Amino acid sequence: MIFPRTTKSMGNYTRHPASFKDPSGFVFETNSKIYRQVNKVYKAEYDLLMSSGLYQELVQQQLLIPHVEIEENLTGTDEYYKTILPDQINFITYAYEWCFEELKDAALATLQTLRVSLDYGMIIKDATPYNIQFHKGKPIFIDTLSFEKYDPLQPWVAYRQFCQHFLFPLYLEYYLKADLQKTMTTYMEGVPVEIVSKMLPLKSNLSLGVWLHVYTQNTFRNSTKTKAEQIKFNKKKLLSLVSHLESIIKKFVVRKATIWGNYYEETILGNEYLANKEKLFGEFCKNLTITSALDIGANEGYFAKLLAARNVQVIATDTDSRTIGNLYQFVKKNGITNVLPLILDVTNPSPALGFNNKERLAFHQRIKTELVVALALLHHLVIGKNISLQIIAGYFAEISEYLLIEFVPREDQKVQQMLASRRDVFEDYTIDKFEYYFRPYFIVRKKETIQGTRRTLYLMERK
Amino acid sequence: MITTILLYVDPGSGSYLIQVIIAAILGALFYFKTIWWKIKSFFHRPKKDDISKNDEING
Repeated sequence: MIFPRTTKSMGNYTRHPASFKDPSGFVFETNSKIYRQVNKVYKAEYDLLMSSGLYQELVQQQLLIPHVEIEENLTGTDEYYKTILPDQINFITYAYEWCFEELKDAALATLQTLRVSLDYGMIIKDATPYNIQFHKGKPIFIDTLSFEKYDPLQPWVAYRQFCQHFLFPLYLEYYLKADLQKTMTTYMEGVPVEIVSKMLPLKSNLSLGVWLHVYTQNTFRNSTKTKAEQIKFNKKKLLSLVSHLESIIKKFVVRKATIWGNYYEETILGNEYLANKEKLFGEFCKNLTITSALDIGANEGYFAKLLAARNVQVIATDTDSRTIGNLYQFVKKNGITNVLPLILDVTNPSPALGFNNKERLAFHQRIKTELVVALALLHHLVIGKNISLQIIAGYFAEISEYLLIEFVPREDQKVQQMLASRRDVFEDYTIDKFEYYFRPYFIVRKKETIQGTRRTLYLMERK
Repeated sequence: MITTILLYVDPGSGSYLIQVIIAAILGALFYFKTIWWKIKSFFHRPKKDDISKNDEING
């Protein structure tokens, strides 16, 4: 991943555009690797993290990204104390692409990191989901410079941040039973308490957690009467707060129904179609030497799992958050570490956000894969969203080296269902036109009709 | 709408007071719970099962 350049630097490195808030150090890229510089100002805390045994404990519990120290000032800056090279993360993803269960697990990982830190006399000074990434199938804390010496007299400086980024979005989704991930693209600092308190339904008043963390917090949010130094706090109180947050979050369960229902079971095409498609899919992938794939419209992740079995790192996406939630639970339960389910509306992928629009990169700026899989997707884009084949061909050419795509013809039952409720203005939607528009960008490597159907599977390679 | 006064307050300190309040309420609830357990155990001799359950919770 290449970061967009924001500042002119002396050395041959690019500073991460989101890494500007904390003076303790910064993330940079050089020679296609992501490093983190520890600044002199953070020396005492970094040394404590490493010498207290906290680092080893967190790494052992797979809560913190492991790193090695590089004995070289790669940036040439005066603030340099240490350079660390963390384990490289395949895909950087953000909370607004995660399903409820992913955000829940990230929240619990944050609280567990805090708990372990307290055991070693340290505390985490921030609690945002941007400090968590999914690595080898688990949420892991990536900001090695978030730890500071714990002062038992002080409450947790990141409590409000934790509520706004984790607890409140979880509460909203839990009580409103609606997909609210996109809300987090609006609220970069997390959802404010005054908004949450107005959105939650009346019945949430019956919950002690909501009453304390939302309504009471909202009542006192503007209070400046008590200065931090006048407050007496202690570790026991902090631990009871952490335990309470943990118990609230662990109790969250969500509904299982998806908008797709049992897509493959309900369709008259059924099992035979799926088996034939799987056979072709296997044949098409057999000679592909790829390490990463993006499955757009992954549904239950059937084909994503097949790719995962071939040791490919797969991003499995769908617009429906419950589908993604179910897939996440499946891969978690079965220990499949190379499928990362994400919520993605391909017609409106996550934008670039934050300061100068460079703090959080757009989806396709971050997620680069060799193969893109688009099965039973095309008719949704053309007929469902009015995007022409010509535009779609250009889009796929931008994001994929190899493209595995299924053409679902007009006569297909699913297309007929879509056309039944709207005027047919899709004269161009034919297999000949499909090939015609994709030809300038791609070479067709393989093409087969899926047995028993009129659907056709293509493997294409970008010219 | 975010009240303007918040813009001049350190983001952390605003959340300190609420943590003190929450911790106090949680502490009080725990205190009453403990008293309730004591009253309960005074009138009701715990069976073997209950003892092992309590051990699990406390352990």
